Order: sequence, then C-alpha cells, then structure tokens
Amino acid sequence: MASVSEMYDVTWEEMRDKLRKWREDNHRNSEQIVDVGEELINEHASKLGDDIWIIYEQVMIAALDCSRDDLAWTCLQELKKQFPGSQRVKRLAGMRLEALEKYEDASKQYDSILQDDPTNTAARKRKISILKAQGKSAEAIRELNEYLEQFVGDQEAWHELSELYINEHDYGKAAFCLEELMMTNPHNHLYCEQYAEVKYTQGGLENLELSRKYFAQALKLNNGNMRALFGLYMSASHIAASPKVNATVKKANVKYAAWATNQINRAYQVSHARYLL
Amino acid sequence: MAEPELLLDSNIRLWVVLPIVFITFLVGVIRHYVSILLQSDKKLTLEQVSDSQILIRSRILRENGKYIPKQSFLMRKFYFNNQEDGFFKNTKRKVVPPSPMTDPSMLTDMMKGNVTNVLPMILIGGWINWTFSGFVTTKVPFPLTLRFKPMLQQGIELLSLDASWVSSASWYFLNVFGLRSMYSLILGQDNGADQSRIMQEQMSGAAMAMPADTNKAFKAEWEALELTDHQWALENIEEELMSRELDLDGMFSKELPTGIF
Repeated sequence: MASVSEMYDVTWEEMRDKLRKWREDNHRNSEQIVDVGEELINEHASKLGDDIWIIYEQVMIAALDCSRDDLAWTCLQELKKQFPGSQRVKRLAGMRLEALEKYEDASKQYDSILQDDPTNTAARKRKISILKAQGKSAEAIRELNEYLEQFVGDQEAWHELSELYINEHDYGKAAFCLEELMMTNPHNHLYCEQYAEVKYTQGGLENLELSRKYFAQALKLNNGNMRALFGLYMSASHIAASPKVNATVKKANVKYAAWATNQINRAYQVSHARYLL
Repeated sequence: MAEPELLLDSNIRLWVVLPIVFITFLVGVIRHYVSILLQSDKKLTLEQVSDSQILIRSRILRENGKYIPKQSFLMRKFYFNNQEDGFFKNTKRKVVPPSPMTDPSMLTDMMKGNVTNVLPMILIGGWINWTFSGFVTTKVPFPLTLRFKPMLQQGIELLSLDASWVSSASWYFLNVFGLRSMYSLILGQDNGADQSRIMQEQMSGAAMAMPADTNKAFKAEWEALELTDHQWALENIEEELMSRELDLDGMFSKELPTGIF
C-alpha cells in the first residue's frame, strides 16, 4: 500500500502543517488524520520535536474513531511515558475505554480526574457522552443541565443540549439553547438558521413568523445560505396559506415568498451557468 | 552655564556602557526563568469559575439581547433580576477579603515577587555603582536642572559639571526600564522580567482577583440589566433583506477538493 507522501508527493513538513490546520479548524476527518498521522509518527518522529505530543493526541482520537485500537494504544503509551500523572492523558485513556465500550471503567477513570480537580470540564463532558452512547438520553439531558448550571459559558455544551432536546422532540427547550448560542455568536448564520428550523417545526402562527424572521436574518448574514432561502419561502407561504391571518399580513407574506422564489431561480441559473462553462 | 563639550574616553563606551547593557539584559532573562520556576499554581474553585461565567452571560445578554425574541429576553432578565428569586438579587457569596497578612498564599506570592525583582535590582545597582564609579558614563540628550545632580552623578564631586552628564548607576536604571520592550520581543508577552509591569501590578494588586468583588459585581450587573431595554434587531429584517438582490457570487465553484492535499 503506497504511503500518503508517495501518493500525493508531499514532504513531512506539509503533512505536519496539514495536521495542524485540521487541528485548528476542528475537523473530524478521522480516516485522513489516521493515514497522515500514522505515517508521520512512524517515519518522521524524530524530526517533529515537541509537536509530536499534540500529534499523538490528535491521531489517537482519530484512531479511536476508526476502531484502530493498536494505533490508539501506541499513542497512549507514548503520552503516558512523557506526561505521567497528567489529567489530559487520563482523559484520553478514558476515551479509549469508552471506544472499547467498557463504560464502567471509563466512568471510574473520569471520576478519579474529577476528584483531583472538580473544575475539569473535559471529564464531566465525557461522562455525559457515556450516557448518550448508552442511549440514556433522559439522564444525559439531566446531567448536561446540571453541568450547564455551573458552566453557563460552554457553547459546545449548549449545542449538544439543543441536539438532545431536538431528538426528544422538546422543541421549546431546544429553542432556548439555540437562543443562548445566537446571543454569544450573533454573526453565525448557522445558529440563526437552526433556530428558525426549530421554530418552524414547533408550528403555530407566532412561531412561523419568528422562523421567517430568523431565516431572513440567516440570509442577511450569509447570502449564500440556500437552506435559509428555502426556509424563508416555506415559512412565508405557510403563513400566507393559513386561514387565520388578515389580508395585509397575507399580502406581505405572498410578497416575501415571491421574492424568495425569484432568488431561488437566480441561484439555479447561476449554478447551471457555472456547470455549463 | 554653557561649556565646551566634554570628550569622553572611547574606552568608557567599550568597557562601561556596553557591559552594563549586557548585564541588565542577562539579569532580566534570568529573572524571567526564575519567576517561572517559582510560580505557584492558582487553583480556582468551582464557584469562582461558575460566577465568572454567569457574569459573562449576563453581560452578553445585555449586549446581544437584541438578537433574540423579546419574550426570550424578558424571560432571562426575569431570571436574573426578579424581586423575589432573581439570581442577582438572591445570591450572596461568602466573602473573605484576602488581606496580604492573613492569607498565606498571597503572602508567599508577595515575598517571591519581591525577592525576584526588587532584590536583584538593588544588589546589582549597588554593585555597578561601586565598580563603575568615579567617571561620567553618558549624557542625557535633554538639559536637566541642578537638582538632579546628586541623584544622577553619584560619586562624582564636581560642582561645575553639567547635570546632563550621568554616572553609570543612572545608566543602569535607564537600561532596566528601557529593555522592557526588548524582553517582550525575545521572551514573548507576559514575561517575568518585565519589572515596571510588576510594579504597576503591585500598586493595583488589591484590585486584582478579589473574591469580595463578586457581590459588588453582581449588584453592578443587576443595575445594568435593569436599565437594558430590548430593541429587537430583526424588526424590519425582511424589508432590509429584500431591498436588494442576493449576492450569489462565489457560491458555486467548479473546484472540488479531491483527496487530502
């Protein structure tokens, strides 16, 4: 099997920089990380210097995703040798146990971290993901709520909670979580769009109006958000078709829907033209 | 009074000015590493972390509350500020103002700070004064009054010498402050050799990281939140959005990324 560097004709520095870019952008392309990282570790370990420890961590998590326990074990051993007694390494050991579905042992591991340092957020979040992996969503929701009571600023956690609520069809609470996210990231069009979708799913005239407004906001933040454009069209036409609205509101919404249709047509034309070129 | 320019022996430049610069710089670097070694871990309690995040959330609510619907904003404001069971009204944290004398960890911190910074400065300043004494080292480019003479010309007993000519001790002190920017360049920001910053910190030390402030901070947030109103940013969003066509440039690109590189 050809190595990555042979296939793409890249040097080890480019591979290392690619890994760093994936790390900074928080990509979860685990198979690619395993391919690139494994070769980097096996062939070029000495040249990497101190970078190697963070690469070990990155590759280990990717290896757990791909069920490569051999690679994960190697990385973990190296990290344990270099950083004995580190809580970050303990968390990685716990993650490996989780991947092997030894949830009891993993939970004990995280509890020992929390005993040393009650403010360690990583261990608490892993415990919650154990509950989620076991399918105990009600408990996971409860634990996550408790976690958020203490760490109100953790945006990753708010997003996770909104996802859990959506799965439980509790759209009101999911909307609350998304509102937190919209407040902390007012320029992120994806949160606006997701919020609008939740409101649309909740249904009812007021929620439909809200959803239309937030689809519009998402579009304003990013003109290219097709999903928001379709959402705008659907919410506007839904309101227009509803029997409870008065004439002015109906007219306004028909206008909005028409505008959205225009933009959708334009977008298709643009994409069509591109592919014809 | 005006007088002919003094011509200093160029040996002074070679053997006094430059060595003092080197000495000051090296001492600064050593101080930085020593301060790293002596640094003690600051353990935050769960409550402190939680409180600081809550304050951040309240502040964000005030600043960005206009992006969420009015109902949601009022719900959150109510949660914080309600007369009976609002968070800011009700939560009182137990406050132990950490005075430097009673709190042992702050005492040791202060001592370490003094030892690493003030002591070397005094020692080396004195040593330089003793070694490089009896001659003028350099001239400051601006005229000084006679008041400065005893301060800047230690060891030189010449009544008629212009006060702009200074001794090596003053050159040393000049270096201590002047090399601060060099330290930032070489050691990175927030380094332990930055003396003037540390002195500033000691002066405002009482204002930093005071848990007693939590109650005051809560009260301040409560007042600020009471005053905030909800101006919904999305009031006329449709009109604003539809006033012009969507900008669809760059949405569809022919280049699809293939493979890893």
